[in-house]
This record gives sequence, structure tokens and C-alpha cells, in this order.
Amino acid sequence: MTVAEDIDVAADSPAKATRGLTRKGALYGVLSALMVVFCVVPFILVIVISFGRKVEGAAWVWGFSFENYQRFFVGTLWPDEVTFLYLQQLGYSFYFAIIASVLAVLTALPFTLLLTRLKRSTQAIWLVFILSSLSMSEVFIVMGWDILLSNNSGLPKLFQVTGTTQWLKDVGWFQSLRDIGLANPRNVKFKPSEFATILTMSYLVWPYAVILLYPALSRLDPSLSEAARTMGASRWTVTRTVTLPSIRLPLMGTTLLLFVFLLGSYVTISVFATPDKQTTAVAIYSNIRGSNLNAPFGSAQAVILLISASICLYFGHLLNRKAEAR
Amino acid sequence: MLKMNRRTLLKSGAASVAASSLATPLIAQSRSLKVGSYGGYFEDSFKSFVYPEFTAATGIEVESVTQPNSADWLVTMQQAASAGTVPTDISLYGRQQMIKASRIGGLIAPLNVSAIGNASNLDSYFIFEGPEGPQGVGAMSWFTALVFNPNEVETPASWADFWDTDTFEASLGLSNVYSSGLLDITSATFFEGEATMMSDDGILAIIDKVREIKPNVTLWWNAESQMEQGMKNGDVIGGQYYLDVANLMASDGFPIQPTFPKEGNLQDYGSWCLSEGSEKSEEAAEFMDFSCDPATQALMSRNIGTAPLVDQSATDLTDEEFAFVSGSPSIKPAYEAYLDNETFIKESWDKMLAEA
Repeated sequence: MTVAEDIDVAADSPAKATRGLTRKGALYGVLSALMVVFCVVPFILVIVISFGRKVEGAAWVWGFSFENYQRFFVGTLWPDEVTFLYLQQLGYSFYFAIIASVLAVLTALPFTLLLTRLKRSTQAIWLVFILSSLSMSEVFIVMGWDILLSNNSGLPKLFQVTGTTQWLKDVGWFQSLRDIGLANPRNVKFKPSEFATILTMSYLVWPYAVILLYPALSRLDPSLSEAARTMGASRWTVTRTVTLPSIRLPLMGTTLLLFVFLLGSYVTISVFATPDKQTTAVAIYSNIRGSNLNAPFGSAQAVILLISASICLYFGHLLNRKAEAR
Repeated sequence: MLKMNRRTLLKSGAASVAASSLATPLIAQSRSLKVGSYGGYFEDSFKSFVYPEFTAATGIEVESVTQPNSADWLVTMQQAASAGTVPTDISLYGRQQMIKASRIGGLIAPLNVSAIGNASNLDSYFIFEGPEGPQGVGAMSWFTALVFNPNEVETPASWADFWDTDTFEASLGLSNVYSSGLLDITSATFFEGEATMMSDDGILAIIDKVREIKPNVTLWWNAESQMEQGMKNGDVIGGQYYLDVANLMASDGFPIQPTFPKEGNLQDYGSWCLSEGSEKSEEAAEFMDFSCDPATQALMSRNIGTAPLVDQSATDLTDEEFAFVSGSPSIKPAYEAYLDNETFIKESWDKMLAEA
């Protein structure tokens, strides 16, 4: 490869080389300008706005105060009163993102393993199918699950028609469902609930999990596990000591990526999560575009969410390095 | 085959730019007006029933612009104003958004009310006096009503019935936005109404009362369509919802019925405001004048389902038609409290919702 490049450069006249260089330079220039305009500037704007000040009954003005950051940790009435509302929302952002990403990876792993053992052509069909399902937006998916979990058109109807609801009432389990919010006096109900939220979020990223795990899993050498099997290791031992360790890194990487992706999910949370489990992403929206026009506080929440996500990614990276070093 | 290269593309682009700039003076000559209204059914009805009447009466063409019924529109208008453009000549604002717009400044222009003769048909409350003079003329009014599923429950006589867990456990659909009326309704039902809303302690007392209804709420909606779906598919059997849409849904056969309980329903209204920077103040005045005409008010009630801002006796609406869009008593939102005490109310409300 390097030899070929050397030959090309030697064959070109010096004048041509300079022209190539300036073209390259121009391309880099354009790319960096695009980066600045579309990434850096909005990013800096969010940070700058987060120091602004809200005017009651109107919008907000530029300023420089840490009030919004203080409010995030202790609430607006500090020091008379403390609220951890915003920390709670941040907590739920992480809670849902972690559970849903881990669940997606755990279920996608066996599926992808089986997929890699299929015929090439069958694999291709599956992959195309999964790739195409990525084109569905969050809104579509949430709508779909919303219908599937609705009283008159979904799972609760099925429960009622098949007599399961009545049976649950007869054996007395219905009351327990009511206690945990999965039923009203008439029928079972699955939304809003943690169950619906996590289900939809994992479903949302499941195709990503398969696509991300597929390259690593398809490179797994089957002879390794076969060798272990011939030496008398059980299937579980092989999975634990041979397969999993060799895909530890892609597994970790996929989970982290899905986790970061899910931290910002908005539609799923706002439709399926109960109000006591709303997340920072929803709160950001309600401050910036909602009825109170408090962009500075929304921006401060966004900055904090970003910092917390970065910290998580950093620790993930550290863990990876540690695992690699072993 | 047509060969498209960079040069022809540039040429055709230049041609279309030239064409569009040529077209502009023509439109200006034939007098036109860009009017904003809330999208969907609402805007469609305006386009089919109201704007054509206006064009027939004045010769002014109306270009309809879709705008949201929320503070979102203020953000858009602010951005447009700083970019030097005017997305609409006239926008439709709820009272709270209108006051916000006037406080932000540079968004809505003062009006020459003497050019709007029919404005005298309206109660002076509906002519909004901003810091720079009159800045809004009432357009129409709408109710947020108590709705219920008549197949599942009896007609509630009072909002207080919603607090009854035996009937409504995990079954209600209420708005999760602090300023969308549940506080006003609760205050009118259990406290002194608007007066209670004016103090922090009053707000906290009302919020405490709302906290008690939480076990009965299955859907805290933030978009109208969520509540519509909830009622249609039976997840929700009662709650707060727009009177006109509820009536329309009911006439389509869906299991929903609005009612006026003894405390009444929440009444809010929209105003036409002239955008700052618009050069169409004359046409705008003519439009507002047309809108304040009792005949137009009746036209809107019949076709859009909004309540008229003039007395029923001034219009030719029958009692039945009037009952479809209006009723009594009405609960007025505590606009002042929402504006002056915004951050406190929002945070206390959010805290209450966020409790497990």
C-alpha cells in the first residue's frame, strides 16, 4: 500500500502535487467550517444561554449567573426550601437508558449469535430486514406500541375477550395489579407504566444492537468453542469462558452507545412514563419550547445531562481499558 | 434527455428567483393578508368558511399560515423578528401568550382601534391594552370542559366527582401543563377561585388538592391528540378536554360527552394581533373589523365550534347551536398569577407530579 502511494507521488509533477494539496486544504476548510457552523456554534450557544436569566411573564434575557445550575441541584426556592426534582429526573434518564440498553443487548446477543450460524443468504435477508426497520422513527414505534397496549385495540382487550381479566379477578391477583398501577377497576392497563417505557425503549434500539454486534460475532472463530467442547466443557462453560470474553469489548461498546442514544429519548418517555418518572430530556423540552419559555434553565439542564453522559462514557472507556489490560 | 449540469442548474435557479420576485408586486397590488391560525381542523375550517367570506366582502386575499397555540409561536416570532421577517401579518394568541408577547416587546404592534368599528360589539375586556396601547382584538373563545364516557359513568355533577377513587381510579385524562386550567378548576371547585391563585400559599393549597386526584389519573396529556386517543380507545373515561372537539367527537359516535358541572368550565379566548413590522396594518384592521361582526362570530361558531365573543342575542345562533359551543358558568384563568409567578407555579406543579 505504501509503496503504491510512493509511486503515485513520484509520477506526479510537483505543480500537480501543490494543486492537489490546495484542493485538499479547501476541502478541509469547508469541512471545518461546516463543523463550526453546525456543531460548535449551537453547542456554545447552549452553554452561553444556560447562564441567562428568565423574566417572569415574558421570555428570557442574556446574562451571567449560576442560578440555573443552582436551581438544578436544589430548586428555585433555595435556601428556604430544597427540591431534588431535577436530580430525580436526571436519575430516571439514566435509569431508563441503562435498563433498556442492557436489556436490548442481552436479548440481541443470542439472536445475533444464532444469526451468524445461518446460511449467508439467510443472514443477508435478516440483516436487510433489520436495517430497514431502522428507518422507522421513534414516533412511529411509540404510536405502534401505544395502539398495541390500548384498552380497546390491544393487549387489554385480548385479556378481556379471552377471560383472562375475569380469571385474574377471580383468583384475586387483579387487586395486586391495581396496586402496582397495571390495572384500573375495569381492566388491566399497561400504559403509562415502567413496563411500557422500558419495552418500547429496548425495542427502539434493538436493531442497532444486532447491527453493532453482528460484525464482531460473525468474526468469532467457531473452532475455539468446538475445541473447548471436545475437551469436555459444557455449553454454558464455553459461553462463559470462551465466547463472552472474546466479545467483551463490542458488547461493552454497544451497550454504551445505545445508552447514550437512549438518554435523549423524548417521545417514549412523554407518552409511556408516569409523571413521577419523567426524565431530563422531557424537562428540557418543556422549559425551552413549553409554555414558560425558560430557555436558560432548559439549556442548563442540557449541559448537565451532557456532562453526566460524558462522565459515564469516560468510566466506560476506563473499564474497557482495564479489561483489555488484563 | 435533459442534461443538467451546474451551469443550467444555476440558470434555472436564477430564473425561478427572478420569477418569484416578479410575482410579489402583483400580489401586493391585489391586496393580501397573511393570517395565522392553529393547524388541522381549526385552520381548515377558517380556510373553507371564514376567509372566503372576508375576501368576498373586502377583496383582500388571505394567505393562511399554520401556527401553534402555545409559547412555541413566540419563539418562532422572536427568531423571525431578529431575522427581519414577518411570518404572518396577523397571528392568533391566547390571552396569556398575548400578554407575554407584549411584555417581551417588538412582537406585536399597537392597533388603531378607531379603524375597527365593530370592536364596539365586544366587551372592552376583549380589547387588550398593552404597554403601547391596544395590541389585541378578541377573535373567538373556547371552553375546556369536563368530559366523560357516557357508557361507563353517570354524568358528573361537579368537578369534585373526579376525586372519587371508587369511580375513577386510574381512569382520568388531565393536562400535565401547569397553566392549562386544572389549577383554576380546582380552585373554583374547592377554594375561592382566582383569589386563591394570587398567593403562594393559595397555590400550594390548590396543588395539595390536585395531589389527591393523582391516583385517579391514568393519562397526564400534553398533546390534545393523546387525550383524543385515550377517550376513543377507552383508556380514559373522563377528564378535561376542549368543548368543541368533544362535541365533534360525540357527533361522530365516539364515547365522549362534555358537560357543564355546577362550577362551570374553563373559558379562554384568542385574540388577533398585528405582527410588528407588518406593512398590512390597514388590511389587518379590516380583517379584525370583519371578525368582530356578530355575523362572522356566528359563522365561526357554526363552522369551527368556537364560542362567540358577542352576546348570543346579537347573533342569529339558535339556543341549540349556542349550547354546542358555549355554556355557563365559566371559570376564568388567573392570567396574572400565571404570568407574575410563573417559575414558582411551574416548579411546585412539576414537583407534585413527580412525587411517587
